[in-house]
This record gives sequence, structure tokens and C-alpha cells, in this order.
Amino acid sequence: MKTWQRSLLALFALLALFGGAAYAQAPGTPPVEFPYTGNRTAVWIVAQLHILFAGFILGAPIFVVISEWLGYRKQDPRYDRLAKEVTKVTVILYSMTALTGGLFIFVLLATYPQFTTWLINHFFMVFAVVYPLLFIGETFVLYMYFYTWDAWKGDKKARHIALGVLLNLIGTITLFVIDGPTSFMNTPVKAEGVSPAEFLATATVWDKIFNYSWMPLNLHRLVGNVTFGGFVAGLIAAYMYMGASKDEERAYYDWFGFVGNLIGVGALLFLPFMGYLLAYELCDYDASICPYMMADQLSMFFEMQGAMIGLIFLASNYYIWLSMKRIEGVEKVRMTILAPIVMVALPLIMTKVLTDYPAPDPKSLMFLLPLLLAPVILGRFLPITVSANTVIKVGFLMVVVGNAIWMTPHGFVPTGAKLVAELELPSDWNFLALMPAKNSAAFTLVFVTVVNYVIYNRAITQGTIVWGKIDFVSQFVLIFLAFSAIWTMGLMGAVRSLLRKYFHTYNLLPDFTAESFTPTLAYSAWWITGITVVFYAVVSFAIIVTLRASHPKDHAHEGQPVPAGAK
Amino acid sequence: MGKAILKVIIGLVVGAGLWGATAAFEFPPVFRWLFFGYAVLGTVVFLILDAPNMKVMNGVKAVAALLVFYAILCTVYIAGASLWPQYDPEDEKGKIAKILKNKVNPLDPWKADEVIGRAKELDAKAKELTERIKALGADQAASSQATGGPGAPPATTGAAGGDILKIGEDQWQLQECYNCHKLKGEGGKKRGPELDNIGSYLTVDDIKHKILDPKSWMAEGFEKEYEKGKMPDKYKDLMEEKDVVALATWLSTFKNTSVNTPKPIKKK
Repeated sequence: MKTWQRSLLALFALLALFGGAAYAQAPGTPPVEFPYTGNRTAVWIVAQLHILFAGFILGAPIFVVISEWLGYRKQDPRYDRLAKEVTKVTVILYSMTALTGGLFIFVLLATYPQFTTWLINHFFMVFAVVYPLLFIGETFVLYMYFYTWDAWKGDKKARHIALGVLLNLIGTITLFVIDGPTSFMNTPVKAEGVSPAEFLATATVWDKIFNYSWMPLNLHRLVGNVTFGGFVAGLIAAYMYMGASKDEERAYYDWFGFVGNLIGVGALLFLPFMGYLLAYELCDYDASICPYMMADQLSMFFEMQGAMIGLIFLASNYYIWLSMKRIEGVEKVRMTILAPIVMVALPLIMTKVLTDYPAPDPKSLMFLLPLLLAPVILGRFLPITVSANTVIKVGFLMVVVGNAIWMTPHGFVPTGAKLVAELELPSDWNFLALMPAKNSAAFTLVFVTVVNYVIYNRAITQGTIVWGKIDFVSQFVLIFLAFSAIWTMGLMGAVRSLLRKYFHTYNLLPDFTAESFTPTLAYSAWWITGITVVFYAVVSFAIIVTLRASHPKDHAHEGQPVPAGAK
Repeated sequence: MGKAILKVIIGLVVGAGLWGATAAFEFPPVFRWLFFGYAVLGTVVFLILDAPNMKVMNGVKAVAALLVFYAILCTVYIAGASLWPQYDPEDEKGKIAKILKNKVNPLDPWKADEVIGRAKELDAKAKELTERIKALGADQAASSQATGGPGAPPATTGAAGGDILKIGEDQWQLQECYNCHKLKGEGGKKRGPELDNIGSYLTVDDIKHKILDPKSWMAEGFEKEYEKGKMPDKYKDLMEEKDVVALATWLSTFKNTSVNTPKPIKKK
């Protein structure tokens, strides 16, 4: 990054910090009225864009430093090159995070001046001291991390990795800090027998931060950011693979894409459970949130979420399938017959067990753990095996079944109030629409994906990977995964915000503007798509500028070229 | 090609089987189509799995393919989201307006914007009246006022009686009590007890007490829900006293003994 770019970034950050604070002091400032979008949608667009950039710059460094460490430990230069290339993109997107962050504050202050001032006053130390310090610290460490990459090699590599760890530490703390006010708006502090307004008057900043949904939101966003970062790394690899003209470059970016996808999928496996934890805490905070989400105004948003998650799992498993096809000798790989049997039985048994012993009842584990571990433990003693291809195909069948269970609604109506018999599941089959069935569907998707990776792992120990020879369609799968992950983030971000219903801060501060209603899913989808496209365009530009432009035809690579055929 | 045709045939057979099975179990047609759709999805997945490799693309061709791919993704996601049943925000707007109508905005207790606007309006009216007075002559205007002429304030009407039961029913809808409680055969989902016979067990004061302090009464058989505090402890902050009384009064009129409303147990 050039000096003028850094100066511009610093100027914008300062403007956002002090300009925002100064604007907030102006008494009686009337809110502006955004034409066409309206105020709420204007805030939505800027906030979502900011969160997408922030999500990437917080998520990417987590696997960047792991990749750098792996490269150091395995003495494999590909990992180091991957880490450095993702960091290059991260540095560009860091300035976009600052820019959209500044814009977010301005738009918020202009559209909701009273509420923004109220929120800043409640979290003054956070907004005026802690967050800026963390942001400045992170900026300093990120640039230091990037610019010392080549200087801190060899003996100094451990020092560089430690700097990466520090960067992640600051990043994670920054995320946790800013999640305080965000989660507070959903679940403000409360105590039995005291009105929220009275309790708030005596609450400390820590009380406000450490609210019901703070830690679940932290965990959900942390895992979500890694997933997102992994899929965007896959996107980087796909672009570079498509533009590569040499076999060795294709081999490298094929490997890069695989690693990015592996990280994305690895974190994705935990995401449904993190989401469940967040929803559980929100419902525990106020039981009326649950029907609003699952049975009423937002129920169709969750149908769409089910469809998106299903597609993401289908695509990620399809990518593993394509990855297997480039392994020579994969046809020899076999697996115990118990694996496909458990896959098929899992949704049914798990639904029954979770209905009888609802989560988090530990008794459910007594039944489910032996079932899940059966292929590993009993499989050793059972001599019957099936081919890897068969197991994977049964897995695909079960991913479709899992999607079907996840997406089957209780009724084809946007709200329970409009439910009629012609649009409702028969009562005997209503279990398909309840949480035990949905959880079993999510777990089936996760289980199948894990089994597929186990098979892949076996395949590479028995066969030879021909890097660079993957079916070209796989690059579209990587792009699809990144696009869909971003779209789903936008959808769930909208859901989390809408859960506040007609409040700025739930049950505490009503939103008296005309826009405090639940928008339709179709309207939301237009904006989510628009935001995703804008984000995608910026990321694509950043990739082209940082990586494509810096790859002249006779470029000397940082690492050793990796010949096709190497593992 | 032969394999692909075989897969399509299998997919159609599975789809038809699902259609038949769901019809036999009396699923509504929309669910039959949904299950048929799952079979189609499965068929497409299995067709893609064994599809031949895609040719490598470069340069302008690759960029064009990418742009088309993005256009398809955008169209499919927007269309997909639009195909699901859509919630009508108008249903909610009316409710929110009613709930917030008499609420004071804590951020703007004096309703600064409204007051400034009203002051400007009055100022304009005062100017207009002054002009009219000038045009008519001061004496004439004064006598007109004394006899209840054009400048006089309108006569105040008596306070509207208001049907307390109607207000109570409105509150049931506004606070969305139906999301957890079944009443008159509507709503519920077993999150909370059915209330058709609640009037036989509880007085207006008891119901009011329960709304304001959910821990004061527990419905028999809802021990888990009671322990977990499923009924939100927020209505004392969200509802006006008169609205709580109206809701309690309305609920106390429900004495349908044919419905098995669980017996309330006093806890506080």
C-alpha cells in the first residue's frame, strides 16, 4: 500500500472518529431522509457492507497465520505463499473496512441522530477509547505483519508468526468489544422484577456488554468469519486459476483453492451449532422472539436460510467429489459398510432421540454417540466394505434428504395467523417441522461432510494427487460457495437485526419511525443480492489489483514451483 | 447419455412415489409438489456428479462465463426468495402504530420535531387569523367570538365510552399472545396453555397479576415452561395499565368448559 493510500485511510478513520463525535454533539439535529431507499435500508446497506469487509479482515488472518505456521513447520513454501497472498488482499480490504466503518457512523448519525447519541453515551468508553485504540493497534500490527514478511524469514520466522498471533488476538478482542453494543441492542441487560429502563440506569458498561446474546454472538461471528475467510480464499484461488497460463501456476492455485475450501468447510461444520446456540439464548431471553423467528414474520427467512445452507453443503461436498476425481488410484479406496448405514439411519434415529430427550439433555448423547462412533469402532471388526464412490453417493443422497427435512415447513404461510389446513403439514407429520428434525438434518449434513473428508484423506494416502488437473467446473463451485456464503451472511444479519422488531433496543427503546416494520423476504433478497454484488466487485478488484497485476509473465515466485503430481 | 436417461427415469419414479405417498398420507398439494421438487433436486445432483469435465476457459471467454454465472446466481436467489410466501408488512404497520400511539419516546419526550412543526403551523394560522381580523375589523371579530362564531374553539365532546372487551381483544392481537396460547381454536402451538376456559378459574385481577408478573401463576402441566420463564416478563413495561385490565377482562369472559384449559396454580 502506498503512502498516500495509508494517509487517506488514517484521515478517514480520524474523520469517522472525531467527526462523528462532533456531529453527535450538535443539539436537535433533525434526521435526514434518504431518497429511494429510506433511512433504515440506507443504514442496512452500509452496515452490511462494513460487516462483510470486517468479517473478512478478522477471519482471514486466523487461517493466514495457521498457514504460515504450517509452511514453517512442514517447510512447504506453498503455505507461506498462500498466507502472503491472502494478506495482500486483506490489507486492501482493511482500508475498505475503515472506509465503510466511517460511512456507517456518518449514515447512522444522519439518519438516527437521537438513538446514535444515546447508544454512544451508553458505551462511551467503548466507542471513544477502547475501540479506537484497538483499531489503531490492529492497523499498526497488520501493516507491520505484512511489511516484515520478507525481512523476518528463516530464524526470524517464529517472530513473524508471533506477530500474526498478536494480530489475531487484537482482531478477536475488537470483534468481542464491538459485539457488546450490537448484542445489547438485541438483548439489553435486564433483571427480574425491575424495569429495563431502571436497571439500565444502574448498569455498568460491563453489565451492558456482558448481556444474554454477547458470547453466543461472539462465537457465531468468530466461526462465521473463518468460514467466510476460507471461502473468499477459495474465490481468490478460483480467479487466479482461471487466469493462470502455466501448469505450475494452475497446480498451485488448485492446491490453494482446496486449502481455502477445506478451511471454509471445516469452520462451516460448526456454524449451524453456533447459530443454534445464539437462537437458543435469544429465545431464552424472551420466548416471544422464537415464534417471531420460526413461526411468524421471519419464518420464511429461515426457509431461505435452509435452502442456502443446503446448497452450500451440496456444493462443498461436490467440490470434494471433484477433488477426488483428480486423485490417481482413488478407485482402490474402500470403507466400512457401517458408514453409509449410519448416514441413512441418522436423520430418523436422531429425530426420535432428540424428541424424547430434547437438547441439551445429556441422555441424548447416550444413544447418539455410539451410533456416530460405530463406523470407527465396530467398523474395525466388520469385514464388509464398500467403495469410496458408493459411500460418497449415499452421502449425496443423504445431503438431499437432510436439505429436504431442513426445508420442510410447518405451513406454507408467512405467518402462523394465516395458517389454514390446505397449507399445513398433516398433524402426524408435524415432527418434520420441529427442532429435533431440523437438528438431525443439520447433523446429517455435517456427518456426511466429515465422512467425505475422511475418505479424501484415505484417498491421498493410497493414491497420488494430480494438482492442477481438477475439473474446471470446480472453480465455479468455489465462486458459488463464496457468493452463497456471503449471501447467507447478509440474510442472517438481516434476521438478527429484525429480531429487535419495532425497537432500536429491544423492549427498551421503541423505533417511532415509519420504517420499523418487518420487510418482506423478496424485498430483503433484492438488497442482500445488491450488497453481495458490491462486495464481490470490490473483492474481485482487490484480487486483480494485488495478485493478478503483480504476476508478470516472467515473475519469479516466492516459493518453489510445485510440479503437478506432487502431494 | 444412457446413464443420464436412466437417472432421470429413476428420479421421476422416486418423485412419483413421493407424490403418491404424500397423497396417501393426505398431505396438501403444495407439500406434494415440494416433495416432488426434492426428487428433482436429487436427480439434478446425481446428473451433475457424473457429468463430463468442463473445458478450460481463458481470457474474455472466462470473464464472460463468470459474468453470466453471477447473473444467474443473482436471479436465482432473488427469484427463490420471492417464491416463498411473503409476509405483508401492512399487517404489522397497523399494529405497531396502535402500540406506539400513546407511548412517549424516551429519546424525545417532548417530541421536539412535532412541537416545532405544530408551533410553525400555529404561527401560520395566527398570521392568517390576524389578516382576517384586520380585514373584518376588530369589533366585529370580538363579537363573533363571544357568540361562538368562526373563531371560537370547537365544543369538546364527551369522552368516548370505548368497549373494554374490544380493547382487550385488540391487545390480544397487538401483543401477539396467540403465538403461544390457543384461543377459540386459533394460535397456540402448545408453548402456553389453551385459554378458552380461563374465566372459570381466574378473576380479572388474577389474570392481570399473571400478565404483569408471569411467575405469579403456573398452569398445571407447564412446569418446565414455568421454570424456564417462558412467558416473557415484559408486559408490565410494554403495556398501559388500562390495556392490561382490558385484556384481563376480555380473557375472563372465556368460560368454555368443553376445552381443557389447565388448572392455574398460585405461586406468588
